[in-house]
Amino acid sequence: MTDRVKVKEIRTGVSETQDDLIEVKDLRTYFPTQDGVVKAVDGVSFEIEAGKTLGIVGESGCGKSITALSIMKLIEKPGRIVGGSIKLDGFEIVNATDDEMRQIRGNEISMIFQEPMTSLNPVYNCGDQIAEAVSLHDDMGRREAHNKAVEMIRDVGIPDPKHRAKQYPHELSGGMRQRVMIAMALSTDPALLIADEPTTALDVTIQAQILELMKALREKNKMAIMLITHDLGVIAEMADEVVVMYAGKVVERSDVNTIFAQPHHPYTHGLLASIPRLGERHKRLAVIKGVVPNPLNLPKGCLFKRRCPYAMPVCDTAPPFQQLGPNHSSLCWLTADQKPPAIGANASGVIAEETAAAMSPSK
Amino acid sequence: MTQPLAATPVPSGGVSDEPILRLDNVVKYFEIRGGLLGISHIGDVRAVDGVSLEVRKGETLGLVGESGCGKTTLGKVILRLIPATSGQVYMKGRPIFSLGEREMKAVRREMQVVFQDPYASLNPRMTVGEIVGEGLLVHGMRNRSERDGRVRDLLAKVGLNQSHIHRYPHEFSGGQRQRIGIARALALNPDFIVCDEPVSALDVSIQSQVLNLLSDLQQEFGLTYLFIAHNLAVVEHISDRVAVMYLGKIVELADVDSLYATPRHPYTVALLSAIPEPDPTRRKRRLILSGDVPSPANPPSGCRFHTRCWLREKLGNPEQCSTIDPPMRDLGGGQSAACHFAEQVTIQAAEEVAARQSLIDTAI
Repeated sequence: MTDRVKVKEIRTGVSETQDDLIEVKDLRTYFPTQDGVVKAVDGVSFEIEAGKTLGIVGESGCGKSITALSIMKLIEKPGRIVGGSIKLDGFEIVNATDDEMRQIRGNEISMIFQEPMTSLNPVYNCGDQIAEAVSLHDDMGRREAHNKAVEMIRDVGIPDPKHRAKQYPHELSGGMRQRVMIAMALSTDPALLIADEPTTALDVTIQAQILELMKALREKNKMAIMLITHDLGVIAEMADEVVVMYAGKVVERSDVNTIFAQPHHPYTHGLLASIPRLGERHKRLAVIKGVVPNPLNLPKGCLFKRRCPYAMPVCDTAPPFQQLGPNHSSLCWLTADQKPPAIGANASGVIAEETAAAMSPSK
Repeated sequence: MTQPLAATPVPSGGVSDEPILRLDNVVKYFEIRGGLLGISHIGDVRAVDGVSLEVRKGETLGLVGESGCGKTTLGKVILRLIPATSGQVYMKGRPIFSLGEREMKAVRREMQVVFQDPYASLNPRMTVGEIVGEGLLVHGMRNRSERDGRVRDLLAKVGLNQSHIHRYPHEFSGGQRQRIGIARALALNPDFIVCDEPVSALDVSIQSQVLNLLSDLQQEFGLTYLFIAHNLAVVEHISDRVAVMYLGKIVELADVDSLYATPRHPYTVALLSAIPEPDPTRRKRRLILSGDVPSPANPPSGCRFHTRCWLREKLGNPEQCSTIDPPMRDLGGGQSAACHFAEQVTIQAAEEVAARQSLIDTAI
């Protein structure tokens, strides 16, 4: 397939010497509505190294799925990417043409969704659906593509793959359907797999099966995974790096151990404190008071301030994305030890200076 | 089975051993019709297949299980929202499946329900005042201002603004809607509330608000909950006792501490092992159950769990697992389980099995 070769050429041509497979910088995806512009994703940046898993956590409406769809360039009109850059191996996706995107989707980036039933075509059997994906991307004959499909079904741990390939999605259980989705996503050997709440619709025992499967395939295929979920348990289990999103912005990012052991942002704190954990009974659950702000009526300055137990006057100014460690940043005015920043003559340090600037009367 | 209890006065406040609700071999089959005309009876989906339970006054009984295990159906049967196939439910001693419409209406005041989906369970054409006050109207509070006063009290109780009484459900967030559903359940001063996955549809930060609210209301009004959920961490947090359901049957019943510390049914062990813990330093080798939950229309012979049971495999597939349906056995300390080999269920045994299993071949 000449097009594919072309894209590969483009990619290798532009590729810089770096380990990051995908680099998202200041991504902004907006949706104009009658009542105003909804900034679903507003300045999101992260990188994923090849073979690593990035977990994106946040509550519904925080923009995590829109981030994923932006990377696939599957944003439906009137929404569009209004700014920022998404680089896949150095190749700029934001400016890619439809033809180039068609080559990237599936070949380079695959995606699995939360509800497999709505993502599978009910009138084709599973084998044909996977074979279609295979033949579109790898220029194979029908029989060859079908054999590859059966092989993929076997690889995701579905017993009796020949028989299963002839079955239709409605004949399979939820866990099986999700396996078929994964088989289809992996059939073209993508470099990046985007998994949007892949186990949310599944029971715990089936979720455990799917997570183990994803781990095993991650090792086998050496692919990067961008795992979107609201379940902190799944994040702790799977992720190497974590990005916490709130109201369209990244509020904290770090490696997985730091985020669970030393969360900095009050929202991350609140999330971790509010989940009931096994073995910690009868403690009253901590709550994050209030609700997520209306995207059409966001507060000035910090978006979390109305729900934040630490809210202070400086929070009316947009907080800085502070670097707290080599691999840990947080979008908050609090100092590294979670104290309100000092103001006055004795105050020193970046945060104190920025606070002083934000609070100065000239502003 | 013990004899039905007479209605006895129960002490108010705190958990008592007195059952407020007793289920006696409750069965619910849904008929499958097929054949040429689609009217002949060709089988049954055995959604609830012989459940006996007691719910004590003032306690929260957690009911956990995977989708399709019959937990929601059981909740509906208890409330007589759908008719049972056989068996009986005694509410404070009264056999509610045998009551007439008028008597049932009186019992319904005492038993209420909070549903899972706060988007589907509130009528979009009714205001909050009408939704919460509907039960009051049905049960004879005809004076509008009296009713509105009560609704305002209820809204305040569940943490909503009293001025929201004239608003419609679409104006509220998921958590707020669930509060409206809770206010509706409380309107008639019930003793017993079936909470059917009340927090599953909510975001984590909102989930904890609603769980705390349910605990507060339980304390304030001496409520008894049947808390149906699939999230074992949530169930552990809120429950006093927990019943684990698999394919229409209760397979284990115990105090919450015993159940989580020393589970005695292989299925409970697997459920507990499957939960991803929110702590990256405790990543563990989980015990993965093979395969899917079998169809309740055609449940396996003998023990219903035997097709997926890790213990059976470890013990060399003893025959009785696939031939004899194990009854619930009292294992002491208020714990009972339906397993022939409950005594051999240990965390150690489970860990041994977990260490040996292959990662990809778990779907078989």
